[in-house]
Amino acid sequence: MELMGQQSKLLLQRIWSFGCSLKLAIALASAATILIMGGSLVMHFNPAIFAGMEQEIMSKWLPRAWSQTPRLVFWVPLSGLLVLLFGINTLCCLIDWLFKIKTRWRKTGEYLIHTGFILLVIAYLWGNISGFRSGPHRIFPGDRIAIPKMPGYALQLDEFTPRLEPSGRPLDMINRVSLWKNEEPVAKALVRINHPLIFDGLVILPASFGQELQGFRFHMPDRGFVDLSPGSRLSISPDTTLEVRKLLPDARQNSQGRVMQTGNLLNNPAMQLSLSGSGGQLWQGWYFLHNPLPGALREAGVFLRPVGPINKTFSLLTINRDPGDKLALTGSLCISIGVIFAFFSFYRKRVQGDRPEV
Amino acid sequence: MSKTLLYVLFTIYATATVGYMVHLIWRRPILPKASLILITAGVLLQTWLLGHRWWMAGYLPVTNLFATLFFFSWALALIYLYFELRYRIRATGLFVMLLNLVLLGGALPRNTSVSALIPALDTPLFSLHIIFSFIGYAFFAMAFSIGALYLCQSRLNSELLPDLPTLRRINEEAIFLGFGLFTLCMIAGSIWAHIAWGHWFSWNIKSVWSVLVWMFYAGMCHAKFVRRWQGGVYAWLSIAGFGVVLFTYLGIGLLLESNHPLE
Ligand code: HEM
Repeated sequence: MELMGQQSKLLLQRIWSFGCSLKLAIALASAATILIMGGSLVMHFNPAIFAGMEQEIMSKWLPRAWSQTPRLVFWVPLSGLLVLLFGINTLCCLIDWLFKIKTRWRKTGEYLIHTGFILLVIAYLWGNISGFRSGPHRIFPGDRIAIPKMPGYALQLDEFTPRLEPSGRPLDMINRVSLWKNEEPVAKALVRINHPLIFDGLVILPASFGQELQGFRFHMPDRGFVDLSPGSRLSISPDTTLEVRKLLPDARQNSQGRVMQTGNLLNNPAMQLSLSGSGGQLWQGWYFLHNPLPGALREAGVFLRPVGPINKTFSLLTINRDPGDKLALTGSLCISIGVIFAFFSFYRKRVQGDRPEV
Repeated sequence: MSKTLLYVLFTIYATATVGYMVHLIWRRPILPKASLILITAGVLLQTWLLGHRWWMAGYLPVTNLFATLFFFSWALALIYLYFELRYRIRATGLFVMLLNLVLLGGALPRNTSVSALIPALDTPLFSLHIIFSFIGYAFFAMAFSIGALYLCQSRLNSELLPDLPTLRRINEEAIFLGFGLFTLCMIAGSIWAHIAWGHWFSWNIKSVWSVLVWMFYAGMCHAKFVRRWQGGVYAWLSIAGFGVVLFTYLGIGLLLESNHPLE
């Protein structure tokens, strides 16, 4: 009985020594390094499969990529597993040190580095299992959008100003945003490049911006400039009204006379207009702004000359959530302090000839 | 930056290197001493040039290949001075300064102008990321030189070079200090990625290889404890590690496309 107890104790001790083994650490790190070296080249030459890695968290991207082409992505989970085992190995080492801290406290720097690494591995796993990456979301100044996967939360763009170089090249995107929780504002920030809004694991940052055609400015001989956009109404005479129904930036009419949108860029803009009188609708049709005004409008006394488009600027914002970000920051802090301490202990250990040999 | 001063700097380092070379054949103690004085003058001039560019630009100009090669060369010369003054590593200087001439020579024909800093790079995290990265690389370059010399010395047993235990110690020290600084570079880079992209690790080839450099040298911080690897194997690992560094710094930009382009 006692022999059995001793044997199992010996076995446990062996397992523990294996867990703490420096040779195991070197083997795991080398295997992960070689695997990731090869994998990084596979990744680089197969952008169609690996591009999504940036836009999604690992737990979403990996199953999808795996189902498409396991042959090209197997190295990702395998190296993840090796790094995880390496993390566990480091943890064993750290625990072993903690038991002997009374005599080994001078190595705090080294073990802060080890602790930081373990925290980073956990933070990466946490963020890539329960976080999300979404966007870029198109949002106009004044609009509010719901934050995905976080019921009750909303993001409002209060103001947006793009900063451009004299040549027109975008320099910065200045977004005044507010974050709302259950209709209460919980955070406000000026979000621009390198200055995101960070709140409880959420990171809101500018991705880009663009413009959307909202309407058109026209000139009318008797009224001067008038701005028309979908929904606008213009009184032509006491009992005739012109209404704008739709506006397409790039449209085409097919052989059956149906008008369809062909693109989002301003190429061949068309407006659907309707003319109504006291007895109901008098006319409805499409006005292609590059063509002459439809005859029905001229007959009704409408003389419109297009002057230019009215665009509204929108911002494109990325909304990510990484619940592990604080842990990652703590890990980074541990490592940074550890490095500074280790710089000192390295020389002291050398003078004292204090080093493990395996 | 005036190109003339750059050529003056190159000439100073080249003369110091020639001094070390001549010393190999015509052993006069005055030669390595003169080379050391020249290198010290070179480092002072390079520090002034770097500081002047920094002052003029309003930010540390390390945003293109000229600037990074120039910074790398400065860091390597400075680190060489540290090891020389501390350990008197004598003819080792020849190898390190040859490497430095390659770096500076690579920078010479390039455009030295400093452009306005774009908002994406306008953060102290960027400067820290670059400073730590290139000082780390310079230590790895030093370790590479020492590793190569260790292998030479184990065959030549020359009195011009430090003995094997000293070379081994310097190699381990260069790797350890380089690893520590490169770790700080990775941390600054990750925090910057978090505020710029919304995630602290990016699966692009440059970031992945930076992690590989970090893992490799973390491994080397431990490999020195393996008795059978001390000395020779460690020297070979230092050489291989610098290959990984060169691929990460230049290879990816030259051979592949990345979000960290070269120019
Ligand atoms: C990525 C993970 C790791 C990093 C970054 C790391 C980093 C370091 C550094 C910088 C040192 C100081 C070396 C020196 O004094 O020259 C060190 C020492 C050490 N590490 Fe690690 N390490 C890691 C993982 C591990 C693992 C997995 C183990 C255990 C199996 C381990 C065991 C040790 C030991 C025993 C020492 C020597 C401490 C002493 O001087 O007594 N490390 N580590």
